Amino acid sequence: MKRDRGPWLAWVLLILALVLIVLSESGALGPAEGLLSLVVAPVERAVSAIVKGVGSVTGSTRDVIELQQRVAGLASANEALVQENFRLREYQAENEELRRQLNFHQENPTYGSIGVDVVEQGCTIFPCGDVVGQDTNPYLRFVIITVGSRDGVAVGMPVVTGGAAMIGRIARTSPNLSYVQLINDPASLVTAMLQQSRVMGLVEGTEEGQLLMTNILPDEEVAEGETIITSSIGGILPRGLILGQVESVIYLESDLFQRAVIRPAVDFRRIETVLVITDFPQPDLEELAIP
Amino acid sequence: MSLYYGIPILLIAAVMQSAWLEDVRILGGRPDLVLLLVVTWSVIRGAREGVVWGFVGGICCDLLSGGSFGLWTLSLTIVGFLAGQPWVHALGPTLMRLALMSALGTVLGHFVLLTLMILLGYVVDLGRGFQTVALPAAVLDFLLSPFAFTFLVWFHHRSRRQLSGFAQ
Repeated sequence: MKRDRGPWLAWVLLILALVLIVLSESGALGPAEGLLSLVVAPVERAVSAIVKGVGSVTGSTRDVIELQQRVAGLASANEALVQENFRLREYQAENEELRRQLNFHQENPTYGSIGVDVVEQGCTIFPCGDVVGQDTNPYLRFVIITVGSRDGVAVGMPVVTGGAAMIGRIARTSPNLSYVQLINDPASLVTAMLQQSRVMGLVEGTEEGQLLMTNILPDEEVAEGETIITSSIGGILPRGLILGQVESVIYLESDLFQRAVIRPAVDFRRIETVLVITDFPQPDLEELAIP
Repeated sequence: MSLYYGIPILLIAAVMQSAWLEDVRILGGRPDLVLLLVVTWSVIRGAREGVVWGFVGGICCDLLSGGSFGLWTLSLTIVGFLAGQPWVHALGPTLMRLALMSALGTVLGHFVLLTLMILLGYVVDLGRGFQTVALPAAVLDFLLSPFAFTFLVWFHHRSRRQLSGFAQ
């Protein structure tokens, strides 16, 4: 008599799936995931290349309408940026002079210049990867990039694009792929500050995919349009990576803190190439110790 | 159709979901290709094959996710098991029950996924997740189920012909 294998097979697979979750949470699944990703990585690259090729044709019509709207927006933004550029040149000149005086660069070869050098050094120094896909889980905001632990990428490393605009941090790696948790993921938290006023706060993602700067003290002045950068507090991120600009400020009398809605520095849906910062100067913890 | 064909189909579907469908927005949502294939195969072939497809499809999705490994695997295995139950055949003609089960399976799959995420401490809102992601996906999977059915039946017949050709 033929026995139905259905029920017990279902139970075995369900228990196996639960075991996978437990092992994943305990971090014991890394090697197995790495092996499986060796199969997935080439397929992901191939399909991504095809999708990009096809998408460039089919997306062109849709893009025309979007582009017209963007051009109008960019024209007005450009005007503001030209003015800001003049001011920034002034700051740059002043900054260079101060650096020469302090001999800052010789003593700290990379500190403070990372926002610039990341772009200039490009893929020769930092692992440089293409974004080949996004998270299959619609409730998470991760992107998958084509560099992995074989390239020296490790969990926690910051990822930038389009200059020094930070898009997120490495959350998981496999030999050939890395999973970047975007800064607009609901679980993402980045210590940040306003570039001009030096006001400190936390930048966090929301479930809608927006960026918010929170924990801003009520008496701090927050101006719309001000640039938000990483603050390096905690030592897990270099200072000066651009996160976005203040779009609006939210403060109710009953609130303990102010919040600022942030316009991200990059369009997270259109990220193509990124750089992973594998190393940056960190404060010497021994110096911070109380004698 | 053996898993020799099932694995590549589910893997390519997961990769397409990651590389292409994430950018597609129809009715405010996007279809769940792997989930749709798992439900369709379960309805056609029953729970025994449904759980295997759910398990394999889940692993493919988990490999392309930054979240905990196993979230999709468990969700899709449950969906594959339930969609393959005999009572599903009482839901009407093939295409009707496929469409209904695609929608129900999507809602169930997302419910399990969201519940697991909440239990594991992810920042997600069950109500909002349903409203903005699960329900639009269920509608889209409902509409796409005839295409998934046609594809899998066509592929099934084609692969059987090839396999019998090898045997001869």
